[in-house]
Amino acid sequence: MDEQKRAQFKKVLREIKNLPTLPGIVAKLGKMAEDPDTTTEQMGRVISKDHILASKLLKLVNSAFYGFPQRISSLNSAIILLGFNVIKSLIISASIFEVMEAQDVELWEHSLGCAVVCNVLARHLGVKDPEEISTAGLIHDIGKVAIKMELPREYEKITELSQEKKISRLEAEREILGLDHSEVGSWLAKSWNLPNKLVEPIACHHDPHLAKEEQQASAIVHFANIMIRGLGYGHAGDIWVPPLNNKAWKLLALAPADIDPLLREVEEKLWDVKGFSLDIQTGQEGAA
Amino acid sequence: MVLAKEILNPEGMVLCGAGTALTPALIERLIGMDIVDVTVEGHPVILEGEKTLQEELHEIDVRFQRVEDIAPLMYLKKRIQAKLAAARNTEAAAK
Repeated sequence: MDEQKRAQFKKVLREIKNLPTLPGIVAKLGKMAEDPDTTTEQMGRVISKDHILASKLLKLVNSAFYGFPQRISSLNSAIILLGFNVIKSLIISASIFEVMEAQDVELWEHSLGCAVVCNVLARHLGVKDPEEISTAGLIHDIGKVAIKMELPREYEKITELSQEKKISRLEAEREILGLDHSEVGSWLAKSWNLPNKLVEPIACHHDPHLAKEEQQASAIVHFANIMIRGLGYGHAGDIWVPPLNNKAWKLLALAPADIDPLLREVEEKLWDVKGFSLDIQTGQEGAA
Repeated sequence: MVLAKEILNPEGMVLCGAGTALTPALIERLIGMDIVDVTVEGHPVILEGEKTLQEELHEIDVRFQRVEDIAPLMYLKKRIQAKLAAARNTEAAAK
């Protein structure tokens, strides 16, 4: 790979112009969440100023996607029940949802499916705030969207090369760009000031052994990506199930007896999220 | 057909429990309540363009063909295929 070319692609992708920025409210809520004096009411007031975001947030909270057992009908109770960090990651999901849904429906389905598996795995493993892992699963392939939007010609070449040589999309990206979607996704996530709990799983979902702080979250997203590809739900650019990293597998410590119940739960939840969209114009909550 | 999952209204209230048999009268009432989809047991309806069990099993083989040396993934494949076959056999038995 020509070093100069790689640097050029890197520059284009780092300066991302076509992807929308996250709403300012995410940064504001991030600061509020760090301040121990912030009250639920203050946070609720900030979110409710954006009516569309507030409706989307409640729709997302009550969807099978996150699977909270009881129905949550107000922003304040959502904040009290779920906590600041979860609310922040829900707002990030609500914002990124639209970008991805509009770009590539099949990749979107793959991402939604991956998020569902992440949620099931995180709950099974007793992880604190499984919603954050779901969000990581939802946006783990955001780098693919960025490549498609910023480098459409190269994106086509990657597709052709992957089909011609029968190699994975990841390998084709590395061959054509000298970098891959996980690296691109991690830059994007960093530029949005997302927490490391989201950045590392995005950066390391193909190489979870490289995760330094978020090893468990990275391992969950890694295996969720494998499982959802194995189930053939959505399409992530090529048909093959990617290899399993041994270190991540050991960390997850799943027993053969865990697989059947996990598959059953994933399939049920996939039915529930089928056709889920945050388009509040057509949704039930749109009228509220 | 028997409900595999309960039916909820938009407020989250249970309208019909899992295990309920779907009679024509009940289906009419659900339509009246604007319920557009339900989850039933097994695989009783073949949709147009749906793949056969053999085709689906083959597709799973293809998806896993590059990880045949990774034992946990071969186990995962086996379970996905077994689940699919079991669901389709329920359908065959129901006929």
